Amino acid sequence: MPSPGETVPFLDPLPGRSGLTSWIFSTDHKRIGMLYLWCILTMFAVGVAIGVLMRLELIAPGRTIMGAQAYNAMFTLHGVVMVFLFVIPGIPAAFGNILLPLQIGAEDVSFPRLNIFSWWLYLTGAVLAVTSLFTGGGPPDTGWTFYVPFSERTTTNVSLAVVAVFILGFSSILTGLNFITTIHRLRAPQMSWGKLPLFVWSLYATAWIQLLATPVLGVTVALVFIERLLGIGLFDPAKGGDPLLYQHLFWIYSHPAVYIMIVPAMGVVSEIIPAFDRKSIFGYKAIAVSSLAIAFAGSLVWAHHMFTSGMSDTAVLVFSFLTFVVAIPSAIKVFNWVATLYKGSIYLEPPLLFALGFIFLFSVGGLTGLVLGSAGTDIHVHDTYFVVAHFHYVIFGGTGFGLFAAMHFWFPKIFGRMYDRKLANASWYLLIGGFNMLYFPMFLIGLMGMPRRYYDYLPMYQTGHMISTAGSWVLVAGLVTMFWGLSKCLRGPRTVGRNPWGAATLEWTLPSPPPHLTFLDPPDEVPSPYSYAGVKRDA
Amino acid sequence: MTPTIIQAGTAAAARVDQTFLLIFGVSAAILVFITLLMVWFVFRYHHARHPQAADIRGNVWAEIAWTVIPTVLVMGMFWSGWTSFKALRSAPADAMRVKVTARMWSWVFEYENGRRASTLYVPVDRAVRLDMTSADVLHSFFVPAFRIKMDTVPGMETYAWFQAEREGSYDILCAEYCGLQHANMLSTVEVVSAEEFKRWSESGAGGDEEAVGLLETYGCMGCHSLDGSEEAGPTLMGIYGKERPIVDGGGTRTVVADEEYLRRAILEPDAELVAGYEGMPSYKEEMPAEDLEKIIRFLTGGAARDLDRGRSLMEAEGCLSCHSTDGSEIAGPTFKGIYGHKVVLEDGTEVVADEAYLAEAIRDPEKTMVKGYEPIMPPYSHLNDEDVKAMIDYMRSLPEGHD
Repeated sequence: MPSPGETVPFLDPLPGRSGLTSWIFSTDHKRIGMLYLWCILTMFAVGVAIGVLMRLELIAPGRTIMGAQAYNAMFTLHGVVMVFLFVIPGIPAAFGNILLPLQIGAEDVSFPRLNIFSWWLYLTGAVLAVTSLFTGGGPPDTGWTFYVPFSERTTTNVSLAVVAVFILGFSSILTGLNFITTIHRLRAPQMSWGKLPLFVWSLYATAWIQLLATPVLGVTVALVFIERLLGIGLFDPAKGGDPLLYQHLFWIYSHPAVYIMIVPAMGVVSEIIPAFDRKSIFGYKAIAVSSLAIAFAGSLVWAHHMFTSGMSDTAVLVFSFLTFVVAIPSAIKVFNWVATLYKGSIYLEPPLLFALGFIFLFSVGGLTGLVLGSAGTDIHVHDTYFVVAHFHYVIFGGTGFGLFAAMHFWFPKIFGRMYDRKLANASWYLLIGGFNMLYFPMFLIGLMGMPRRYYDYLPMYQTGHMISTAGSWVLVAGLVTMFWGLSKCLRGPRTVGRNPWGAATLEWTLPSPPPHLTFLDPPDEVPSPYSYAGVKRDA
Repeated sequence: MTPTIIQAGTAAAARVDQTFLLIFGVSAAILVFITLLMVWFVFRYHHARHPQAADIRGNVWAEIAWTVIPTVLVMGMFWSGWTSFKALRSAPADAMRVKVTARMWSWVFEYENGRRASTLYVPVDRAVRLDMTSADVLHSFFVPAFRIKMDTVPGMETYAWFQAEREGSYDILCAEYCGLQHANMLSTVEVVSAEEFKRWSESGAGGDEEAVGLLETYGCMGCHSLDGSEEAGPTLMGIYGKERPIVDGGGTRTVVADEEYLRRAILEPDAELVAGYEGMPSYKEEMPAEDLEKIIRFLTGGAARDLDRGRSLMEAEGCLSCHSTDGSEIAGPTFKGIYGHKVVLEDGTEVVADEAYLAEAIRDPEKTMVKGYEPIMPPYSHLNDEDVKAMIDYMRSLPEGHD
């Protein structure tokens, strides 16, 4: 006779254990993943709202709806919220937590208590970050990069904000540690490295970056805090410090962090394309190895953010070269995904649409990254809207669309219900259209020399800004449509079977939603994750 | 790049544009190829047309091809980018040198002959090397038309160079976020002919031209000459300090044409009319105090030059990017009406902004900071007494303002 934990869906309370505490003190990886999911989606809403206000301010030169100080605080918040509270924890902490143990046939992660502790750290960091807006000398106005010496001189509430970032960093480190251990130690006996789903491979590569690079960020922001408090002169040249040192330290973490953001999304795409193609992924090993190659090479390219900083020309040569090297594994992934479509049997469902959207937008972002890696051209477009466009294509077009794809792909698994397919498709068109209308003009005004973080601008840039602002409205319409299409289906009976897509990884062998306790005994058989022969759809 | 973006203004910029074209060309081809392929596959292998997927798991030759070909392409891009970067960094040894100091939120350009300006005047077809630093936080010197951008770092010297090929005005923008007025930290490179540059380089600050312009604008010159000739009104030449016979009741009395008198004579001319002349319209409503002071300074001789010098010094030193002259608040208190008024300091003490206070506030702002403002003003200890005096005189000429 199975215990209630083995039959009750994890979203429903177990007998005698219900209410808020059964969530916020849960050690169940699925529930912790859901806590992250709600938090990151809330933070995403905050970040989008700030972004829309910024775009509105920029619709015309001069003051439109806010003053310069308010605008400077807005772009700082938009960056901090989106980077540290939405994108970095996004896919790994939410979907990684829910799916990693399920995909490797494990009961949970290695350290379940550490896992909920990580979420509490995340929550503490998020609360402190929000508190920094309303206390002290007002919201920070430094940009999310906290560049010195400005961040040491401004009287706004930078100290509390960097403490928040410090704590968030620990959340990320501990999650990385947990995932690495889990993947090494808790795979089902038959799950060899060669049978690991590519999403797990991507989480593995990401976890190493989280574990190794995030401490550097912790040290860096701690030094800023100490410098602000005691004025000991680490970065401030007026006291014998070096502002370039800060930039090196900051980017030693923050460039690899870009790969923390994008690699898990690549993993999601690698799951979705074969599932809707009814065909094995093309070049499994190449995709798995390129994740590791990106994680490794991506750790060595940080100073390409600093070509105009005043560092030596030799450093420019070296970091420009290494930056082009890291472009290669990304290209390999894209070609393998496209090749997977070849001679498949394609079902154009919303998850696949979002995955294809990912490939297109990520390609635009990646290819324009070549302009930034090339030393001569970077000098012109560095710190202009070209860069703003580039990283929004990579991070929003890439990670954002990857997250949307994951939401549609695993929605039926998590909730046991199907979303509204028509609304999902409609939202995709609005999102793709709005996205390109919002960000593509930024490439052009960036090439014309429009610097970023400008509250006001010369009239020659206005047309681009106007189109971009209008695009932000279309994009928001797309987001509203998408979340409406998902959330309207959260009620009603759970009718979805175990495997609505006919996918081959282990989570689809479980009920939808999975019960509280899963894989108490490891699965007897571990299939190849992309072998669809004999896999039955169970809608 | 096409002229609709921004035409390259130097040979090095044209070299950079070649790299842009190379990367954009290759990238566009790859993007179009990938996108069309995806769309075609989705159409061709839709399950309705292709119900049974083939069992293909990979292909070693394909993997090698799409590893090697991108590698070759990106290495080409890397090299092209690097050589164009070298062009931006290789300043000729005989380049004209200009020292650039960035500060919140303005640029100071200092020439080898000591001339300082807030606009970068340079001769056409001459290599110019900019040796740059910052007085406070990071800034970045950016001229889109020349494809040059270089951070200015406090405590460190960086450089950039260019050789403009065409005369004209080119935008300078600050590209590294530097606080409140970052977006307004703008200037221009004025590329002029060699002769014009020489003339500009040797001339002093504006001189009396502005005051003379004002006299013309207000129609004064219709009746008052500057060369001693008599017209409808007395000549203005040498008027300062002269004794004037004034119509007073039935007879005349004598006044000395000092500063106060000249002011009254413009604002209420009929009250003290010089004997032998017809009346003159009052300028009380028409002439703002600032213009009046400029004219008075001009009429009182050498002082006029100081006033203009004060103004242009303040422009060149960047004071006016934080302090307004019209009563509006930027990052620091407005100069309008500051002279002689009380200010409250950080520690709560009240002082009158007299000459001594203002001089200290310029040279050592940390000690004399007015309450309620960010302590971001750098000390201007490099200014000599004469410069400081000229600045204070200029502040004094902006009388009406807040209390």
